[in-house]
Amino acid sequence: MSLKEKFERIVGADHVSDGAAERYVYSRDMTENPPRTPQLIVMPSTTEEVQQIVRLANEERVPLVPFATGQSVGGLTIPQVNDAVIVDLKRMNKILDVDEEGMYMVVEPGVTFGHVRKYLDENHPGLRYTYAISSPFTSVIANALLQGLCDLSTRYGAMAEFINGLEAVLPTGEIVRVGSAILGDDNWFGRYPLPDLVGLFTGWQGMTGIVTKMALQLWPKKPFTRHFALFTFGDFMTTDLLKQIVRADLADDAGALSFSVVKGLIGMPAPIEAIEGEPDYGTFLTLSGVTSLVLDEKVRLLERMVNSSKVKEPKNLLIPFEAVARLMSEEAYGWVDFPSDSFKQLTEYDGLTWMGTYIHTKNWGEALFKGRKIVEKYGYELMAFLKPMKGMHFCEFKFIIRFERDDENLKRVRQCNNELLDLALDLKAIPYKTPVWSAKKLHERADPNFIELVRRIRDLLDPHGIMNPGRWGL
Amino acid sequence: MTSDESVIEQWLHSCVRCSNCKYVFREYSPSCPSGEHFGFETYYASGRIWLAQALYKGELEWEVSLLDPIFACTTCGNCESQCLAPHSEHIVDMIEELRARAVQEIGGLPSHIRFRENVVQYHNPYGAEHHNRNLVETYGLPLQAETVYFVGCTSNYRETQIRDATISVLKKAGVDFTVVDEYCCCSPLIRTGQLDPVNEAAQHNADAIRAAGAKRIITSCSGCYRTLSRDYPKLGVDLGVEVVHITQLLKELIDKGAIVPKQTEHRKIITWHDPCHLGRAMGIYDAPRDVISKLPVDLVEMETTRENAWCCGGGGGAKAAYNDWSVETARTRIEQALRTGAELIVSACPFCTRNLRDGSSEDGPPVIDLTELVDRFI
Ligand SMILES: Cc1cc2nc3c(=O)[nH]c(=O)nc-3n(C[C@H](O)[C@H](O)[C@H](O)COP(=O)(O)OP(=O)(O)OC[C@H]3O[C@@H](n4cnc5c(N)ncnc54)[C@H](O)[C@@H]3O)c2cc1C
Ligand code: SF4
Ligand code: SF4
Repeated sequence: MSLKEKFERIVGADHVSDGAAERYVYSRDMTENPPRTPQLIVMPSTTEEVQQIVRLANEERVPLVPFATGQSVGGLTIPQVNDAVIVDLKRMNKILDVDEEGMYMVVEPGVTFGHVRKYLDENHPGLRYTYAISSPFTSVIANALLQGLCDLSTRYGAMAEFINGLEAVLPTGEIVRVGSAILGDDNWFGRYPLPDLVGLFTGWQGMTGIVTKMALQLWPKKPFTRHFALFTFGDFMTTDLLKQIVRADLADDAGALSFSVVKGLIGMPAPIEAIEGEPDYGTFLTLSGVTSLVLDEKVRLLERMVNSSKVKEPKNLLIPFEAVARLMSEEAYGWVDFPSDSFKQLTEYDGLTWMGTYIHTKNWGEALFKGRKIVEKYGYELMAFLKPMKGMHFCEFKFIIRFERDDENLKRVRQCNNELLDLALDLKAIPYKTPVWSAKKLHERADPNFIELVRRIRDLLDPHGIMNPGRWGL
Repeated sequence: MTSDESVIEQWLHSCVRCSNCKYVFREYSPSCPSGEHFGFETYYASGRIWLAQALYKGELEWEVSLLDPIFACTTCGNCESQCLAPHSEHIVDMIEELRARAVQEIGGLPSHIRFRENVVQYHNPYGAEHHNRNLVETYGLPLQAETVYFVGCTSNYRETQIRDATISVLKKAGVDFTVVDEYCCCSPLIRTGQLDPVNEAAQHNADAIRAAGAKRIITSCSGCYRTLSRDYPKLGVDLGVEVVHITQLLKELIDKGAIVPKQTEHRKIITWHDPCHLGRAMGIYDAPRDVISKLPVDLVEMETTRENAWCCGGGGGAKAAYNDWSVETARTRIEQALRTGAELIVSACPFCTRNLRDGSSEDGPPVIDLTELVDRFI
């Protein structure tokens, strides 16, 4: 029996393909990372099917690559070895439970931000999840596993923080749970006090098993919310002001964008050039309170901080979002209400990439200041995106590049991202959602014992090396 | 199409595969009948665009395993409504060009080839005996008239109740009309990339319409309407007259009092299915609703309507080549209709009517054409 037939016996013939079309489309993504063609694509619909796939892969020594929607913007679903089998998880798309009292949901890997949003609005209108600026149709599990950032990250940190527990099929085929649900269903309240084995799966880019369920924290919607747009000048002055605002616990979310991105939001066509004298950054701020009084007080403090900043930079400007919406369009509310709605301008071409990192707060401004020079040198639009993380314990920055995927551009984008990564590593930033080339550069500078530990854990969990081999430069 | 411009080439560097086309924007319900059923990335608009680009650039060789992802698409255009990228309005054009290239390179699907041969031999895709001109005698129509009713093959050879209701309404309204020796408008061929016979048939239709001395054409088929209005000009075929869909004409006739719907005591609950060719392709959403609002019925809309309407599953050659999936798609639409509590499902495309009926259960609400509904009340 051929390998394809064996997979067909597990998931049904309609859910396995070795067609030239599928093998092509799953061999690449929108980034500059080089494609590699898989031998098969399989689409399981249950944990048990995933388990059988993994067991078969072990017997046959077949490399597996988990795939949710292929939108990591890091080439993370592109096989790194030949003859890989892509495990497309989109049929596992159930929201299994929402626990109002424990404020969490249990979801399968094909569940996307959009679906969560709709489901909560319709069934649990008092609760919210955290939303990225990616298309609404990226996987919440994949994003949490990749420690991504969303519109509650300014307050609570990277998405992995939101994980209460998970169920996974290990590379050797066992189904395991980590977190409080080891005592059974309806009990996914948290990860502690236990050995925190969620960390065996987050940040591993699918090398340690296939996560089939995840419990994620939800949050009560704040009864009083206001949004503001803050326009600022200078990399250091901008980051200094954001640090103040976030340290004072004023903002639930503070996503700052190069002004070019703001111009794109209001419909300016590509390519967008920065104009002398315009603000460098536009930051969308979300403030909330349990009473209007609390909210008003936060607003007052915010205004005071921005006013004080005017001593150094008189052109800094804080405007209520109502004014933004009047100026731009009602659509503007979509950007703050559900940031996915604002990703439109990232769909300009067939290419999209970035070099994104988490970085020490002290190095944030310098990273932006030097990073923009690199982007300008390569002639790309200035599209920085930055976020204060976890109450200012750390920061995020990335430079977005949208581009046409022709040979010339691919080469140039690679060089630009390489230089940006060198800068980031010089400033001891940790790149996220790292493509292999980037992970390898990180290895060169990182504590070798850490890399060795990662390798040992991977080998222990995956003795036959079937899970996403070659990923993260291992 | 005859134009040498390649829409695939024009958009060779677009589509970031962001998945937005998979679901209704801000509604998050499925939009793509093909992707929803087959699941692989290749069965969504983005997959097809990437394939089209890859084949164009020579990154992929033509082979038969490509045929299903290329042809298992109803060309419903819902992806176009959801996509936010600059190429959004051209997705179906890209898919149709991809199909034309597939037909040239490796031949089309057998069921599509069959209806192409029928069009060539019998002037209709069903292989039915060509009899259009008989209608002139049957209905006592003039040889020349201001208005030509372009019947369309499905109304003429399969869903004849639509043809009959249309003729009845036109007569009751006192419209000066006739029918001509029409050949298939070739919508099924254009949608499935079989372009060779299209120009000749289109030219024949143009000549027949001109010979009838017509100033406008009425179609009761949304597919014919889209093809005559949108595709013929691209083919370089100038009909030289206005093309009007029956829903637009009905609105006009009601507005000017040429037909006056009777009011009844019992008002049925009905729901309206937007045909893809009429709605998304031609932007006509209000005319049928305006007509319905004048009838003694209560319209309850389905959860997906207008540019977001779930497709009936019948278009783009899907019914001929993938009947099970096509009917399953119709069943999804019927389930949406049932959730409205409708006693009747109304549309304005013989193809939709046929497929929605195939997707209905026997004891479910009947599926009828808007002309049939109007005819009942005048
Ligand atoms: C326009 C755009 C904007 C974006 N903005 C943001 C943003 O604001 N914040 C943010 O955090 N991200 C952002 N992203 C990235 C994206 O949302 C996330 O990285 C993401 O959700 C992962 O992508 P995915 O869901 O498609 O997973 P995939 O790309 O399919 O998978 C990502 C990785 O996880 C592995 N994996 C997937 N599922 C499983 C599983 N169940 N078990 C084990 N391993 C698994 C895969 O093997 C792969 O290594 C953006 C992306 C785009 C295209
Ligand atoms: S067709 Fe449009 S919506 Fe669909 S993936 Fe491509 S860019 Fe996104
Ligand atoms: S035209 Fe319809 S079936 Fe085809 S890809 Fe677009 S949404 Fe899917």
